Amino acid sequence: MSDARNPPIRILIVDDHPVVLAGLTSMLGTQPGMEVVGSASGGEEALEMFRSKPADVLLLDLRMPGMSGIDTLHALRRARISVRVIVLTSFETDEDIYRAVQAGAHGYLLKGAPQSDMIQAIRVVHGGKRYFPRHITERLAERMMRTDLSARELEVLHMLARGLTNKDIGRALNISGNTVRNHVNSIIEKLEVSDRTEAATTAIHRGIIEVNS
Amino acid sequence: MTLPLWLRRRAVVGLLASLLLALLLVGLRAYLHSPRYDLPYRDSFQQGKADEWKALGGTWELENGTMRNDSDERGAKLLTGSPYWRNYSVEADIDLLGSNGDAGLIIRSGDEEEGVNAYSGYYAGLRTLDGVLVVGRAQHGWMEVNKQIKDPNGIRTGRWYHLKLLAYDCQIVAAATPLSQATPTSLAITDNDCIPSGRIGLRSYSSGGIWRNVVVRPATHQDLVAMLETAGASMESKPNNATAQDSEPLGLHRIDEQQEESRATSNHAAQSIESLRVTSFAKPAIATVRGVVILTAPRLFVQDSTGGVYIPQPKAPLLKVGDEVEVTGEVHSGDFSSTLEHATVQVLWARTPMPPVSVTAFQASTGKFDATFVEVQGRLASKEQGPDNTLILDLDEGPQSFRAILNPGRSDYLFNKLKPGSSLRLRGICVVDPEFTRNLTPFVLLLRSNEDLEVLAGPPWWSTGHVIAIVFAALLLALVVTVVYHRIAHWRLQGALDERQRLAHEMHDTLAQSFAGIGFQLQAIRNGVLDENSALLQQLDLAGNLVRHSHEEARRSIATLRPESLESEDILSALDLCARRMVEGTSVQVVVEREGDQRPLPLRIADTLFRIGQEAVANAVRHAQPTMLTIRLKSSENQACLQIEDNGRGFAQENGLLGFGIRGMRRRAQSISAVFQIRSRPDEGTLVQINAPLPPRVTFTTWPIIFWRYAREHWIDERRSKPADSHSYRG
Repeated sequence: MSDARNPPIRILIVDDHPVVLAGLTSMLGTQPGMEVVGSASGGEEALEMFRSKPADVLLLDLRMPGMSGIDTLHALRRARISVRVIVLTSFETDEDIYRAVQAGAHGYLLKGAPQSDMIQAIRVVHGGKRYFPRHITERLAERMMRTDLSARELEVLHMLARGLTNKDIGRALNISGNTVRNHVNSIIEKLEVSDRTEAATTAIHRGIIEVNS
Repeated sequence: MTLPLWLRRRAVVGLLASLLLALLLVGLRAYLHSPRYDLPYRDSFQQGKADEWKALGGTWELENGTMRNDSDERGAKLLTGSPYWRNYSVEADIDLLGSNGDAGLIIRSGDEEEGVNAYSGYYAGLRTLDGVLVVGRAQHGWMEVNKQIKDPNGIRTGRWYHLKLLAYDCQIVAAATPLSQATPTSLAITDNDCIPSGRIGLRSYSSGGIWRNVVVRPATHQDLVAMLETAGASMESKPNNATAQDSEPLGLHRIDEQQEESRATSNHAAQSIESLRVTSFAKPAIATVRGVVILTAPRLFVQDSTGGVYIPQPKAPLLKVGDEVEVTGEVHSGDFSSTLEHATVQVLWARTPMPPVSVTAFQASTGKFDATFVEVQGRLASKEQGPDNTLILDLDEGPQSFRAILNPGRSDYLFNKLKPGSSLRLRGICVVDPEFTRNLTPFVLLLRSNEDLEVLAGPPWWSTGHVIAIVFAALLLALVVTVVYHRIAHWRLQGALDERQRLAHEMHDTLAQSFAGIGFQLQAIRNGVLDENSALLQQLDLAGNLVRHSHEEARRSIATLRPESLESEDILSALDLCARRMVEGTSVQVVVEREGDQRPLPLRIADTLFRIGQEAVANAVRHAQPTMLTIRLKSSENQACLQIEDNGRGFAQENGLLGFGIRGMRRRAQSISAVFQIRSRPDEGTLVQINAPLPPRVTFTTWPIIFWRYAREHWIDERRSKPADSHSYRG
C-alpha cells in the first residue's frame, strides 16, 4: 500500500516496559504503510528523540516512572510539538481516560486490543480524527457528567459545603476523623483546589452538589 | 521517606505541649520549694485547728487557744512549715509546766525523728533548772551556749515568756522576754557551717509546756541587725564542742532528789482505791489514796492498781497525765466507782503513765472498769461532731456498742481520715456516768489524745465507694479495650490494603505489561506468516487468544487488588460499579438490591465477598450472556448473604475456565467459613450464593462475653482436646 504519494506513518513508541516496546515495534514494523521511527522508555527520552526523529503518531503509555504519560502530553504541548498522540495503556480508570483526554490525547487504546483496532486507531488518528473505542467513550461521557468523586466523598462534600467540621462529619457518617480528613484531602486533590472552602464553592459552581442540600 | 504533614504537625504540637507542661512543672516546683513559700505563717490554735502540725513524741493537745504538751518526755517535738524556709524568724509565747526542764522553739529543722536531739536545726529554749536562755544546734547531737535571763526570780512555771528566734544566713539570734517585762535577754550565735533551711517546731525537754501565738515571718538583714541592736547582744561565736553539754545526768539527778523529797512528805496512810467502795455510806468519810493521774480534762481521774477514782473540782497544782499523786477527800460511792470530793491533790512525782487494761466492750459495759484506763477494740459505725468542739466516734464490737470522745484540735485530721467500717483500737478512760453516755451506750471512752486511737484495719474493700470505683474502672477498661481493639483492627486492615495496592502496582508493571508485549510479538509473528500456512496461523491465533485471556485475568486481579475499587464499607456499590464496568458496551441490565440493616461488614469478609462477587459477575457476563444481572446483599445480625443471579443460559457442568473460577470462589468462601452455593440449569440462569457468618460485634457491652467465649474455645477447650485448625487465614 505504501507508495510515493503516501509516505509511511512515522510512529514513535513510548513505554517503560521493554517487552511491550519490543512487541509493539515488531508488530507495527510488519504493517505496510507504517514505520516505527523509534522507541523511548520515558517521557524525557521521547521529547529528546523528537528533535532528531520527527514522528506523526506517538503511542504513549500512561504509567511510567518519572515523567508520566500525562506529564509527557503536557510537555509536548508546551514544547509546541505537533504530534498525534494515542494513549496506550494496560489499565484504565475513568480518571486516567479523563485526564488523558484533557491533556490532549487524540486516541485511547488498551494494550489488550486486537491488532486490527490498533492499526485502525493509528490510521484514524493520523488522518486528523480522534479514536476512542465505544466503551471508553461511554465511560468518558459518564465521567464528564459525573464528578470523579466517590459516593463517600460526595457525602463528605455535601456536609463540607454545609460548614460541618471533620469531627461532625465523622460523627454523622460513623467514621473516624482521620478517615474524613483523608476523604477531604482526596476531594481537594480531585477537584484541583487548594482548600476545603474552595472545594465547597467549586463543587457548587460546577453543579456537583446542590446549594440547598 | 519524610513524615506525613499531619504527623509532623502533631509532633510539633506534642513537643510544644510537653514543653509547656515541663515549664509549668518547673514553675510549680520553684513555687513549692521557694524559701518564702506560705510565709508569713500564724498558728490557728485560737480556732481550734492545728492539722498542719506533726508531733514526734509528747501529748500535744489544743486547750483554750494554746498548744499544750503535758508529757515530761525528753525532746517532745511538734513541727510544721516548709523544709525550704531559709531566712525567717519564729516567735511564740511559752509557759513552762515543769520545774526541771526546758521548752522553746526550733528553727531550720529537718531530718526529724522521735528522740532527744533527733533532728537537725537550731533550738532556743527557756530552762527552769538554771534560769537560762539556751541556744544551740542539734544535729543528732547537741551543742549549746546559754545566758542567764534578766530576771532576779529566774525562770518560773506558770508564767508567760515571749521567745523570738531568728535565723539569717549563718547567724542565729534568740531573745526571751517575760511577758510583764520589757527587757529582753538575747543571745546570738554565728555558725560557720550552718544548716541553711528548714521548718519550725515547738520542743520541750523534761517538762511540759504551753505555746501560743506562734508566728513565722520572713527575715531580712535589717531584721537581724534590729534584733541584735535592740537586744544589745554581743555576737557569740559558734557554740563549741567544749561547752557542749548533755543535760541528761544533771536532770536525772535533780528528779531523783525531788522524788526523795516528795516521798519524805507523803502520807503513808494511803489506802487502795478499790477499798473506797467498802467505806461506810452513812456519813462521808475522809480517805487518802495514792495513784497515777490517768486523765486531767475534762475530768480528773486517778487510778492505782486496784481501780480508778473520779475527783471532781480538786484543789490541785497543775497536773499532768502520768503524775503520781496522793489524793485526800470525801468518799462518795457511786454505782460502779467512787468519787473523792473536796479533794486535795499532792503531786508525789512524775512517772511513766499507767498502761491500759485490755478489755472487751462487753466487759467494759458491765461497769466493772468504770474510771479505769482501758484498751478496747471496735468497729467504727459512724462519727460526728459533739458539743464543745469534741469529736464523737460511735463504735461497736459485736452486739455491744459504745462511744469514744476525742479532744478537739490536732485530732481533726485523724478524725477526718477515719472511715466508717474501720477496725480501731482505742485507749481511754472508761466512764459510765450518764453525763457522758447520755444513756445511749453503756459506757463511753474518754480518749486522752489522738495517740490513743489506732486504726487496725481500714473498712472492708466492698464498701459502696469501692464497688462503684471498681465498676467504673471496669467500664473504663472495657471502653479502652474496645477502642484499642478497633484501632488495631483498623491498622491491620490498613496494612493489608496498602500491601494489596503495592501488589497491584507490581502486577501492573510486570505481569500485565509482559502479557501485552508477548501479545504484540505473537501478532508480529502472525503478520509475517503466509496465508498458505493455515495450521501455523491457527496455532498462532490460539496462542494470541491465550495471551489476551491471561492479560485480561491479570487486569481483573489488579482491579480487585486496588483499594480504590473497593469502598470497603459498602461492597454492594463496589460490586455494582464493577459489574457496570464489565457490561459496558452490552445491553445487560444490572440490578442491585439490599436487604437488612446496613451494618458495616468486617473488612476481611467484605473483601472476600467482593472478590467472590466479582468472579461471579465476570462469569455471568462472560459465559451466560444474560440480559439481567441481579446483585443482592442480605445482612442480619450474625450472617451476611451475597447473591449474584443472572437470567442467562446457565450450565450443566462446571468445567474448563468456568470450573476453575468456581473452585476459586469456593476456596475463598471457605477461608471465611462461608457456605458457597451455586445453582444452575441450562437456559434457567445461574444463582451464586455465599452465606458468610459474621463475628459477634465487638462493642462496649459485648466484648467481655466475646472474650469469655474466645477464652473458653481457645484456652480451656484446648487443654481437653487439641482441635483441628479452626481458623484458616486468607493465603
